[in-house]
Parts: sequence; C-alpha cells; structure tokens
Amino acid sequence: MDLQLSDQHVMFRDELRAWLKANMGRPWREELRDPKATEDSMIELRRSWQRKLYEAGYLGMHWPAEWGGRGTTEVEKSIFEAELSRADAPPILNVLGIGLLGPALIHHGSEAQRRRFIPPMLSGEEIWCQGFSEPGAGSDLAALRTSAVVDGDHFVLNGQKIWTTFGPWADWIFVLARTDSKDRYGGISFILVKLDTPGITVRRLRQITGESEFGEVFFEDARVPRENLVGQIGEGWRIAMTVLAFERGATSLAAAERYGRDLGLLARTCKEIGRESGAVREKLGRLLVENEVLRANGLRMLANLADGKVPGPESSIEKIFWSEFDKRFRETALDILGPGGQLVRTSAEARLDVDWSREFLWSRAGTIYSGSSEVQRNIISKRVLNLPQEGR
Amino acid sequence: MKFELSEDQALLQSSTRDFLSSELPLEKSRTVMEHNADGYESAEWRRLAEMGYIGLTLPAAAGGQDLGAIELAIVLEEMGRVCVPGPFLDAILAASFLAAAGKQDALLADVVSGKSLVTIARQDSPFSGNHLEPTRFESGRVLGTKYFVPFATRTDALLVTTRQGVVLVRAPYDIVPLQTIDLAQRFGKVTFDHQGALIGGPELLERVDLLAAVGASAMMLGLMSRALEVTLEYVQTRQAFKRPIGAFQALQHRLADMLLKTESTRSAVYRAAWCLDTGDPDTALACATAKAYAGDASRYVCGEAVQMHGGIGFTWELDLHFYFKRAKTLEQFYGSTETQLEKALAAAGY
Ligand SMILES: Cc1cc2nc3c(=O)[nH]c(=O)nc-3n(C[C@H](O)[C@H](O)[C@H](O)COP(=O)(O)OP(=O)(O)OC[C@H]3O[C@@H](n4cnc5c(N)ncnc54)[C@H](O)[C@@H]3O)c2cc1C
Repeated sequence: MDLQLSDQHVMFRDELRAWLKANMGRPWREELRDPKATEDSMIELRRSWQRKLYEAGYLGMHWPAEWGGRGTTEVEKSIFEAELSRADAPPILNVLGIGLLGPALIHHGSEAQRRRFIPPMLSGEEIWCQGFSEPGAGSDLAALRTSAVVDGDHFVLNGQKIWTTFGPWADWIFVLARTDSKDRYGGISFILVKLDTPGITVRRLRQITGESEFGEVFFEDARVPRENLVGQIGEGWRIAMTVLAFERGATSLAAAERYGRDLGLLARTCKEIGRESGAVREKLGRLLVENEVLRANGLRMLANLADGKVPGPESSIEKIFWSEFDKRFRETALDILGPGGQLVRTSAEARLDVDWSREFLWSRAGTIYSGSSEVQRNIISKRVLNLPQEGR
Repeated sequence: MKFELSEDQALLQSSTRDFLSSELPLEKSRTVMEHNADGYESAEWRRLAEMGYIGLTLPAAAGGQDLGAIELAIVLEEMGRVCVPGPFLDAILAASFLAAAGKQDALLADVVSGKSLVTIARQDSPFSGNHLEPTRFESGRVLGTKYFVPFATRTDALLVTTRQGVVLVRAPYDIVPLQTIDLAQRFGKVTFDHQGALIGGPELLERVDLLAAVGASAMMLGLMSRALEVTLEYVQTRQAFKRPIGAFQALQHRLADMLLKTESTRSAVYRAAWCLDTGDPDTALACATAKAYAGDASRYVCGEAVQMHGGIGFTWELDLHFYFKRAKTLEQFYGSTETQLEKALAAAGY
C-alpha cells in the first residue's frame, strides 16, 4: 500500500499548479457573482478558458498522440481535474464532448470522424451535447423512441430528446436513435447530428435554479448524412455503455477539493457570525469527516488507476457517495447559515464567498443525472453483490 | 501509488486469517465470552504473543516486530471479522506508551511476550461529562477513581492518566467489575490510593490515541465486512413470498449502502494508517475521520444485518449480536465519535 504520488506525478501536478497560477483569471465563484454575468457570457468565458487549456496541451492528454495525447494516463487526468477544482477554475465547457464522445470516437469511430471532430471539440470551437434521454426514456434508456430511418445516403430522424445539457448553445449533438423498433438493444445506433440541420428545433427549459443550462431537442424529418454514424448500425447501445463508463472515474478527488474549499469558507463564516454552538460544531464536524472519506475514496481510486486497475462497478459507489454527500452538505450549510443562506446571488446581504442557495439547488441534480442513485444501487446489487434480480 | 496490500502485507492478512480461524473461531470465543469472567483465555493470549502479534508495532529491542499502523490495521480487521475477545488493542496501546516513555524495558518486554498485561486507565467518570473530580498525582501517590479500565482484573500494572501526567501503578488495586453489553471487552472501576511513578507527559498519549483510532476503526471494518457477508448469504437463501428475500429492491438498496459504507470505511482506515506510517501532514485529520466514520458506519451495517435476519437476528444463538454490540461499544471507546469530530475540526483549523 502506498498512497504517495510518484515523482513523475508530483512533477506533473506542480507544473500544472504553476501553469494555473500564471494563466487562470479570477476563480469561478468570483466570475459567477459578477453582477454583469449572464448565462451567455459565462458560456463564452468557459469557451475561452477551454481554449487556453487546449493550447497548453491539457485536454485529451491520455488519448493517442495524434489526438492531443501526451503519453499520460487516467492518473494525470484525475490529478488535472482535482487541481482545476482546487484552483476553482471555470468548469470545462465541452465536458460532454471530451468526456463521452471523445472516447466513443477513439474506440469506435472512423479515422475520418476522428480527424473531423476531435480537434474542434478539444479547442471548444464546436460544442457538443448529449442526446440520450427522452421524455419516455431516462433510467430505462433503452426505451428510447427517436427513430433514424435510412434513406439513400442519409438517415431521417424523428423524435425528441430532453434534459439536453448545453443544448441551447451546442453546435452538435450525439444521438442514440432507434434503427430497429423490434430489437430493444440491438436496434439502437449512435449518430452525430449538426444542430442547425433543417427539421431540428432546440428549446430552452428552465431549471429549478432559474437557469436554462439544459433544453429539449425536436427532430422532424431531419436528414443526417450516413457517414455520421459511429460504429455500425445497431452498435449504439454497446458504444453508449462503454462511453458511460468513462463518465465516472476518479471524480471523488475533484469533488473533495471543491467541497473542502466551500466547507472551509463555511467554517470561517461560522466564526465570523458567531455560530459556534455544540450543535453547529457537530454538524460541521460530520461534514468535514464525510468529505475526508470522499477524499480517501478518491485517493484509493487514483491509486488503483496508477496500479493499472480499470474501475468497474465500484464507480457506482463513488457516484452515490459524492452526489448524496453534496445534498447533505448544501442542506446543512443552509441550516447553519440561517435565513441568509437562502439569499440569491444578486440579493442585498447575500454572502459573496459561496453562492450557497445556488449550490443548494444544484445539489439536487447530481443524484439524478448520469445514472440516478437508485439506478446506481441497482448496479451495485446486481454486478457487485450478485443479488437475485426481479423482473425490472 | 497502489491501494492493494503489498505481498508481505497480504501474507500477514492471510496468515492471520488462518491463525484466527483455527485458534480463535467465533464458536470457541463465544464459549469463552459466556463462561470466562476474564473474557479471554490465558493460553490463547500466550499463543498470540508467541506468534508475535502483541509486539506487532513495537520496537525490535523490546521483542517486537517494528511493523506499522497498516499492519496493525490488517490484523485488527481480521480480529474484527471473528469478533476476537480480549485486550489485544489495549495491550498494544499501553506498550506503545511504555516504549515512547522509555526506561520501562523489562515491563515492556513482559507485555510483548504475553507474560504481563498493562492497559491504560483514562476514564474519570462512568458517563461522559466532567461531574467527577479527575485523578490526581500528589507526593508520589495516585488518588482517584477510574472507570472502564480495560481488563482491569487481569492487569499487572496500569498506566493511569492524571492531571500531572501518566503514572505507572502496579497491581494490586481495588477493582469493581463493570459489565457492558459487549462480552468481548471487560472493564473495571479502579479506585486508587497508591504509590506510582510518573513516566510521561500527556503529549505521549497523542500518538497512542492516533494508533487507537486507527486500530479501533480497523476492527470495526472487520466487523462490518463480516456482518455484510453473512447477511448477503442469508438474503440469498431465506425465502419469503416465493423468492429469496435478496430479490426485494428495498433490501438490495440498503445492502448497496452497506457495501458503500464498508468500502468507504476501508478507504478511510487504510488512508489513516498510511498517513500515520509515513508521517503525512494529514495524519490527525485522517485518523479522526476514520474513527468517526467507522463508528457510524459499523453501527449502521451491523444494525441492518440484524434487521435483515428478522426474528433470528434478535436471538442470542445467532452470532450477529456480538458484531452489533462490538460495533456500538467501539464507537464509544478509543475516542468517541464526539471526541473525534472535535479532533477533526481542530486538525482542519475550523
Ligand atoms: C441537470 C441535469 C442534466 C442532464 N443532462 C442530460 C444530458 O445532457 N443528456 C441526456 O441525455 N440526459 C441528461 N439528463 C437526464 C438524466 O440522465 C435523466 O434525468 C436520468 O437518467 C433519469 O431519467 P428520468 O428523468 O427519465 O427519470 P426516471 O427514469 O423516470 O426516474 C424517476 C425516478 O424513478 C427512479 N427509478 C427509475 N428506475 C428505477 C428502478 N429500476 N429502480 C428504482 N428506482 C428507479 C429514479 O431513480 C428516479 O428517482 C440530465 C438530467 C439533469 C437533472
């Protein structure tokens, strides 16, 4: 057992820290509380930040050299994410492209697709969104009904995607569509669609935060060139499942950095406002301890990656842990702060260190997206605990 | 970087598991716990000493093996899995104190060889709080009463915490046994008006406390791992409504949470042990985290294990109650959750 980063990884981390110091603008939380900030301006800020990271060679690091790779592994990627989080850097805009589509193209795409799509995805020139969920297909994703019918050298798409993050800003969407209505899994294909294709409408949806980061995408006889199919017809489910596995990974470390920083700020506020009763201290202590367990889980995952182990269904444990903790943390923060914690960013008297009310609302999302907590527990009970399955 | 145990560590784990399953299986310990007022057998204690377990983390000069907190955690996790009764952790903690204090070579060697037993007497009150006067050390004498002194009736000497420092007191002393729900641990109330020798300041207890936190949480990890395994076997065989109860999602999700808590405890315990061994700056926070988290988690896991066994889970006959009780008592000893939360906050500077 050894939880010490290797010299090479320490070097990578220190270089990155120095680079961030020299190149990062204001911390993200300061950007967010800028009175002039709008959703559009934040997207543009994130785009230009992504470009900087790209130019410095930090995106696609663990991919093959021709696609941005620099011979590193998942370990550097996890360190990179943790350091960005530690520095409170703006979140990378094209997360869905880089995190999901990138690996799909590298493992299942054609050479021409990689050449066409990967560079502008990494640079942030083209923003991608993920078209998996539908009004009638979320947890039960294979129930999806958006159809793609072959017509000469095109697919004709009809149907609707929903909860599409960045839909309102994206240039492209990767879609799971049904190419065979009789084959539940084998009838699904993975198709790349330009959002300005005639027949496509994108509508904003308003989230509980009041923002519209996600939207819905309607397809009415939208014609998409056949060359935009990734893999073969009917391979979409298999590709999506391997890709969703990439969405997980050592996320706990980055999460623990972020929560740890906010927790430190909460503790400071408690001192300032005189919230130091035993009841408050116990709450703070429990949050601190849980966050340290999150960090320990992250270190374990990182050490396993460094040791050449591929994360399996235990990523479900990570996903449940951080997302459920996020909810408890943000709820408790509001309890501790009292009514002032509920103030929205732009209100008089709102605290400027952390946007507590927004974090509180956002924390409700993590246990729903990318496999809800219930779905993750199903995965654990089936694949880790091997429990007998009832029909579901 | 590597989370898995090294070859030597894995060997320690498997040899300890083999040793315990042949020498200290629960069906045997259960009889000892029920019938032996001391809570453990001398012959078994000598075997543990012969095998080098008592000296595991102690200096070679004292006959120890000079291994680290990771190895201690490995052994205690295995002991937790079979609910080993006796003063194993208590003896190691007292011996660590003796080693740190120095000048107690003969006594230390006797503890390591299993010839003598020394434990630490700390608790100034039967309940938490400070309504009773703490033990004092005045003109060479220890005055006061200590509660929950581990295995007091079997000790040859005690390390007594006083306002003035830690004092070594040799037996005999007046002992009133205190019986908790947990038969694996025995305690006494000890009243002192005794000659003693001041051997160290309270700062020497700091490292001992870190070791105690890691050790106790490793034992809780063993308890919960085994309670989960037993429960998983049970839910696959027990039938209700024409199916194994493990097919019910209401149980599956809680079993998933039991795994989450068990594995998260594992991450926290071994991280803390590793920090302690390497002198990492996060040691204090990591140790407090391990103990505070393991306390909650093991109570939850062992409690759910009882629940999922139904009526038989409430019987004396089934072994689970030993796990459930140990989990609850360990949560409160070796630095209660409340104490650990305070330590964590202090370590983080909050
Ligand atoms: C902020 C946010 C961003 C998102 N971004 C995207 C995106 O970019 N692209 C995209 O494709 N999707 C996106 N989603 C959608 C997300 O993946 C789905 O919401 C999610 O998969 C759940 O599906 P659903 O909404 O249809 O809920 P349902 O599947 O209807 O679930 C409703 C409830 O039932 C529970 N449930 C469902 N099945 C089971 C079961 N078998 N056992 C026990 N409980 C069950 C669920 O856990 C949930 O609590 C996003 C969602 C959110 C909140």
